[in-house]
Amino acid sequence: MTHAIEVHDLTKIYPSSGQGLLAVDHINFTVEQGEVFGFLGPNGAGKSTTQRMLTTLLTPTEGQLLILGYDLADNAYPAKRQIGLVPEESNVYTELTAWDNLMFTGRLYRMSKTDRVVRAEELLKDFGLWEKKDVKAEEFSKGMKRRLSIAMAIIHKPALLFLDEPTPGLDVQSARTIQNLIRQLSSEGTTVFMTTHQIEEANQLCDRVAIINHGKIAAIDTPEKLKQTFQQVQSVEISFTVSFDDLEEKLATLPEVSTVLKIGDKWRLYTESPPALLPHLIKFTEKENLDIVSLNTLAPSLEDVFLQITGQQIGSVSEEPSSQKLGMKRKKGK
Amino acid sequence: MKNFWTRIIEELSQAWIVTLKDIKVYYLRPGMIMFGFLMPFFMFFSFSVKREMSAGDGMARLLALTIFFTAAAAGPFIIPTERRLGTYDRLLAAPMSLLTLLLGKIAVGAFFAIAVSSIAVIIGILFLDASIAQPILMIAGIFIGSFTFSTMGLIFGSIPTRNPGDVQMPSTLIRWVLLFISGVFVPLSEMSTVARGISYISPLTYSQDLMNHAVLGTGELALWLNLSVLFLSGVIFLLPSIKLHKRGRVLGY
Ligand SMILES: Nc1ncnc2c1ncn2[C@@H]1O[C@H](COP(=O)(O)OP(=O)(O)OP(=O)(O)O)[C@@H](O)[C@H]1O
Ligand SMILES: [Mg+2]
Repeated sequence: MTHAIEVHDLTKIYPSSGQGLLAVDHINFTVEQGEVFGFLGPNGAGKSTTQRMLTTLLTPTEGQLLILGYDLADNAYPAKRQIGLVPEESNVYTELTAWDNLMFTGRLYRMSKTDRVVRAEELLKDFGLWEKKDVKAEEFSKGMKRRLSIAMAIIHKPALLFLDEPTPGLDVQSARTIQNLIRQLSSEGTTVFMTTHQIEEANQLCDRVAIINHGKIAAIDTPEKLKQTFQQVQSVEISFTVSFDDLEEKLATLPEVSTVLKIGDKWRLYTESPPALLPHLIKFTEKENLDIVSLNTLAPSLEDVFLQITGQQIGSVSEEPSSQKLGMKRKKGK
Repeated sequence: MKNFWTRIIEELSQAWIVTLKDIKVYYLRPGMIMFGFLMPFFMFFSFSVKREMSAGDGMARLLALTIFFTAAAAGPFIIPTERRLGTYDRLLAAPMSLLTLLLGKIAVGAFFAIAVSSIAVIIGILFLDASIAQPILMIAGIFIGSFTFSTMGLIFGSIPTRNPGDVQMPSTLIRWVLLFISGVFVPLSEMSTVARGISYISPLTYSQDLMNHAVLGTGELALWLNLSVLFLSGVIFLLPSIKLHKRGRVLGY
């Protein structure tokens, strides 16, 4: 079976600034048909750049791209017919009604009138937009525009769907609708390529995840295997009744602790081996006369894996990820 | 061979779909009305005040002006607007060739110009009491001029930018220059040799002369020359647009 996506040494240097900006640096990966493939990375990592090259919107500086077996450099047309695209910003025609937006896209993809009408009705109903079908999209909320732009991307039943950050900025309800839709499309055989920086979303939706950072792919695997590979980012979470100034430094000097992170009223101690750390931790609390409120050991989450690779702090979104400036204290020599 | 023709027909109908959509979305926008509709009329009336000319002469000039300004107004407005909203990506990613997309966009400006020049014709006949020597030639001239100048406007629309303001300036400037060196304000027959030589650079000169043939029944240049220059410049104007679109795809617009 041909791969849905095959990428060889894909590179993009934006020529705009001075000697050029290297946004994607010789990446290689394949996506199998029927897979939900997550492209995970911090801001500026090169996710959108990659997706725009995969959807013919951007010319690569170097490398080869095969979409459903067609080389985009020689013969993009058959590939274009079979892909659907949801870009980062919902790009609906705000001057047109929801219905007209769908009709226009259906025509552009050469669907027959009956197919268009049946499919548009089905999608609008599924997406909870049927009542608003004759309302101009300029009156839509952000979540409604997002749903409409996804409906427009799948009206022609593409074999391969690209989604650039499908859910940020949406409420839980809208985000869940979209996530369920991705699951449903996948169960019907659509291949999905989605970029995201929401780790939990990738964890729950994706068969495989690539982690991209500074234009390079740092890891590709299933979410579970990624977690296993990063056993050193297991952690122990502890909270005390009191806190004092140099508590963080002291925790960081405990044997077996690699990193200390304060999360709300809890301390998270990263370690390769929680069983080895626990006796030291107990001894420490006795010595310092601390009362423990709660104590948990945590298996590595995909978030931890991601942070380990990109050196970012949990929940932080930074242009220039670096472990030093983000309040993550690493032990010297580690 | 059958496949080839099916594909051509498909592409043409896709161009038409793009045109229809743009007509729906953009024709009533303030930017289009301002630059495409009011401006040529405003220019015409301000220039014809206190000037002796026959009704037919006035109408030929009004037609040349409206076709020129209106047709070239659409491209520089619509494409950067769509790039900013991200809707242009929708068209670029769709299964059609770049030429098809450009053809659709050219038709948007051309039809706008044809509609506005119809208004100019009605004004000419009703208010200026003009008579038209060769109506068929006039209609043909309106069509060919509209497509040529819309293709010219497309060049500016193709400049990689997301801000219509960035291209409005150069496109208006160049249109003014082409207007002033042309035979619209000063007829070719009254120009000095040098001025006349310069006026041949502007495609508007040929459009004006064509309108003189059509409305007044007489022109300075041969009819076939006017028609072929307009047609050929339309084709040549396509090339920079294609190049600029390729450039945009490299730069990331
Ligand atoms: N058109 C462009 N011209 C020049 N540089 C660009 C352009 N588009 C993106 N970049 C740069 O390329 C790098 C990668 O950008 P990209 O948009 O691919 O990141 P991303 O992973 O999608 O980030 P985000 O999570 O913020 O969407 C960034 O440094 C960005 O500034
Ligand atoms: Mg992005």
